[in-house]
Amino acid sequence: MEPVLRIEDLRVEVRLRDSVVRAVDGVSIHLRANEMLGIVGESGCGKTMTALSVMRMLPPRGRIAGGSIRLAGKELTALTDAEMRHVRGNDVGMIFQDPFTSLNPTMSIGRQIARAARLHRGLSRAEAAERATDLLELVGLPHARQRFDDYPHQCSGGIRQRVMIAMALSREPKVLIADEPTTALDVSIQHQILDLIDDLRQRLGMAVLLVSHDLGVVAGRADRVAVMYAGKVAESGDTDALFAAPRHPYTEALFEALPERAAATRTPLYTIPGMPPGLARPLVGCRFAPRCRYAEERCTVEEPPLAVALDGRRHACFHPVGDPPQPLARPAAGAPQVPTVADDAAAAVPLLSVLGLVKDYPLASGAMLRRREGTVSAVADVTFDVHRGETFGLVGESGCGKTTIGRLIVGLEKPTRGSIELDGEELTTLKGAAYRRARRDIQLMFQDSSTSMDPRMRIAATLREPLAVQRVGNLRERRHRIEELLGKVGLPAAALHRYPHEFSGGQRQLLSFARALTLMPKLVVTDEPVSAMDMSVQAHILNLMRDLQHDLGLTYLFISHDLAVVRYLSDRIGVMYLGKIVEVGPAEEVYRNPAHPYTKGLVDSAPVADPVIERQKLRSGIKGELPSAIDPPSGCRFRTRCEFAQDVCAEVEPPARPFGPGGHVAACHFPLARPAGVTASPAT
Amino acid sequence: MTRYLARRLAHALVVTLCVTAVVFVLLHMLPGGPVRASLPINATPAQVAELTRQYGYDRPLHVQYGTWMWNLLRGDLGFSPQLNMPVRDAITERLPKTMTLMVLGIGASLLIGVPMGIYQAARRYQRSDYLLTGATFLSYAAPVFFVGLLLIDLLAVSFRVFPAGAPQGDSVAEILSQPNALVLPVATFAFCGFAQWSRFIRSATMDNLVQDYVRTARSIGASERQVLWVHVTRNSLITIVTLLGLHLPTLFAGAVIVETVFNYPGMGLMFWQAAQNHDYPILLGVVLFGTILTIVGSILADIGYAVLDPRVRLTA
Repeated sequence: MEPVLRIEDLRVEVRLRDSVVRAVDGVSIHLRANEMLGIVGESGCGKTMTALSVMRMLPPRGRIAGGSIRLAGKELTALTDAEMRHVRGNDVGMIFQDPFTSLNPTMSIGRQIARAARLHRGLSRAEAAERATDLLELVGLPHARQRFDDYPHQCSGGIRQRVMIAMALSREPKVLIADEPTTALDVSIQHQILDLIDDLRQRLGMAVLLVSHDLGVVAGRADRVAVMYAGKVAESGDTDALFAAPRHPYTEALFEALPERAAATRTPLYTIPGMPPGLARPLVGCRFAPRCRYAEERCTVEEPPLAVALDGRRHACFHPVGDPPQPLARPAAGAPQVPTVADDAAAAVPLLSVLGLVKDYPLASGAMLRRREGTVSAVADVTFDVHRGETFGLVGESGCGKTTIGRLIVGLEKPTRGSIELDGEELTTLKGAAYRRARRDIQLMFQDSSTSMDPRMRIAATLREPLAVQRVGNLRERRHRIEELLGKVGLPAAALHRYPHEFSGGQRQLLSFARALTLMPKLVVTDEPVSAMDMSVQAHILNLMRDLQHDLGLTYLFISHDLAVVRYLSDRIGVMYLGKIVEVGPAEEVYRNPAHPYTKGLVDSAPVADPVIERQKLRSGIKGELPSAIDPPSGCRFRTRCEFAQDVCAEVEPPARPFGPGGHVAACHFPLARPAGVTASPAT
Repeated sequence: MTRYLARRLAHALVVTLCVTAVVFVLLHMLPGGPVRASLPINATPAQVAELTRQYGYDRPLHVQYGTWMWNLLRGDLGFSPQLNMPVRDAITERLPKTMTLMVLGIGASLLIGVPMGIYQAARRYQRSDYLLTGATFLSYAAPVFFVGLLLIDLLAVSFRVFPAGAPQGDSVAEILSQPNALVLPVATFAFCGFAQWSRFIRSATMDNLVQDYVRTARSIGASERQVLWVHVTRNSLITIVTLLGLHLPTLFAGAVIVETVFNYPGMGLMFWQAAQNHDYPILLGVVLFGTILTIVGSILADIGYAVLDPRVRLTA
């Protein structure tokens, strides 16, 4: 059957001031009707440029330099701009990454969809409004008619992305391009949106081009996958076959960099050495060769073609992995992991002890006469311990209060109630010099290293600052200290004299890590340290964090929304929901035998780069949206989204009960596992 | 909304009190004064002292201010000996005429500036954009009085197309019945005003053109014209509304100069003459008006912003 979309030898150039970047260099892919093709790759690999080329919506300096894009037999590259406008929306719809900025802020969502439905169609205003209401219902928005006049800022990210989808599908295109459609969303919402896209594909019989950096997102839903590297397709094939046995060394390296695959074994992640090549210079040989562990001389002089192998898969490599193909070793499922630290550490005095921590933000109005109008309950009665030398992971979706806890512990915010003890010393009541002295022992590693460093300060000054503030050592000792640290994170001493913008995102995060270590803290609080990183860079930072923890005896409070990363690095995990810790326990134990329905939902929602596992999880996950923290639900805060909720959940706040070894504790009336020491489950 | 307005009005009272007090003190520190100004050069010291006592200028400053404030609360702005009429009457007679000039002037500058800014943004970094940018810098650089005189010299003296003087008369209707005479003052206003609007609109439009929602509009097949007018312009105009409110005082200052150059019988001309004649009651009255105008302008900006931008709720 002729594919609905066929891209042949596509080349895209982006003209810079004095060079031309070949962002896409000879890409050929095709998309059959009703099929979902996933394009994966790291940033800068050309996956988004390929998608934008189909729409002819390249950035101002970009242009299609060659190749052909055929949509249902029509050559798109030969169309005039006016004809191309007709293709957009009618034949191809597109949804983008950030639903928070992708909608017009001054137009109601209903009108935006109605406008999209009317374009190039002779619909009247009333018909278009009718169609828009139908579309809102189609994308799963309850009470569509009432929400028609809502503005984007009144909607959550998930709803906005649904609105985007409704706009893209308003004129029933044959092809939907989804460019990182869920990257800005929480995992539970991501799961819902991906389900929706999959569902609409089946119902409307359209083809979907799913562009993502996340192998897990692609794994469960795409029929076929193309892996891109440096402007070229490295490998493509059926999802199951490709995920089971990658042929291209780059794909293999990506898989080995995934923390979820190494979570059970705790082995160091594979890191791809070096950086992707710059695409402004002409390149000879295989583009991955400089970073490839199998590269030979031939790879550096001759470019491997994207050849069709005997099994029908394509890969551009002279030395494909596992020839003949061998399945990737899958970690044995269900094998119970022995908690490493937790058991013996449980007896000792914890390094950090958080007891009944509460943080309320007053919602007040008025500058002169402040009137209390309500309270945002960001952290509500949270208790946990962090033991010396362990990594405690706090995981939860945005708005769950995990970042606030980090800020409270570091001292950037004052708690409303509760106590924070470090080494037996109460931090919340300390003042003056003693307070400053105590702050030395807890340091914060930020998420966004590009904005958390003063752009006008050289690295040396940035790293030296904590020492100067705390009046530690003299100038020579300080310089010695930061040089030593720079070596520890693997950056050359020359970096000291440069400015933050001269580094890549990954290098900046290493510097941010070094800065957190300058004062030799006992506890490092890391807030989403790898969320903005590409997979290979993420692996490098996670490895380094683990190595230095071992070498320097560090204790981490690791805050992240990414369950796979938390699970890989943490000894114990605390799962947070709307200001509460709902479940705590050894990492593997919590992941494999979750007791709280929210934990189970989180595990099911988090995408895993394994098509077999992903397909089992379809239609599971967490329903609905996060309620407001201003008047949080009574009793159990998760009850509004919980399928097991009963009357008691609204009336009585569930107490924390033990569930297993290593201090596995969960707070639920109807847990998924039997509480320890109870013979009959109460959930009958 | 009501609470917002109540709070803003409370702020306004405090600001008015401060501004008038400062101006009061500054005025009285000036050499000369209304008494000297209203007496002939050869007046005897006794005559001066007598008039000073009559006007009440011999009393302590805070008592004078207190009296002025007290009278103000009863709606009495004082009496201008030079104009021989109550200040309130002088202002109410001239205010509508000044407002007419300002509205026409702002209207004309927006009419030129806004489309020009949008056009420039649509043709950004092309030759026509650069040419128009040059024109705006010319407008920025030219002082109001200079432009006024230049227009008079060119269009009234050399070519005699329009009269050199502004329309005269006591009411707005009389002023508007002489549209020919209005052309040059309004043109001066417009020439000196359009530049900032076109620059604001150009940069606001360019900011909006690279927003993600514009990309979304293109992705559903909207033409560049639709993108520009349906999506971008409304978002750009929000900026202008705010700026318009905040610029009211500057525009009033411009009116003072235009009125003086063209001898337009409005508040600006009266203010200029009062300043030369040390007519304190008039000066204070107009300053009070300027203060109120500034406050009202910023409140209007906030309200306009809230009306146009659904994301803004007035809670400050």
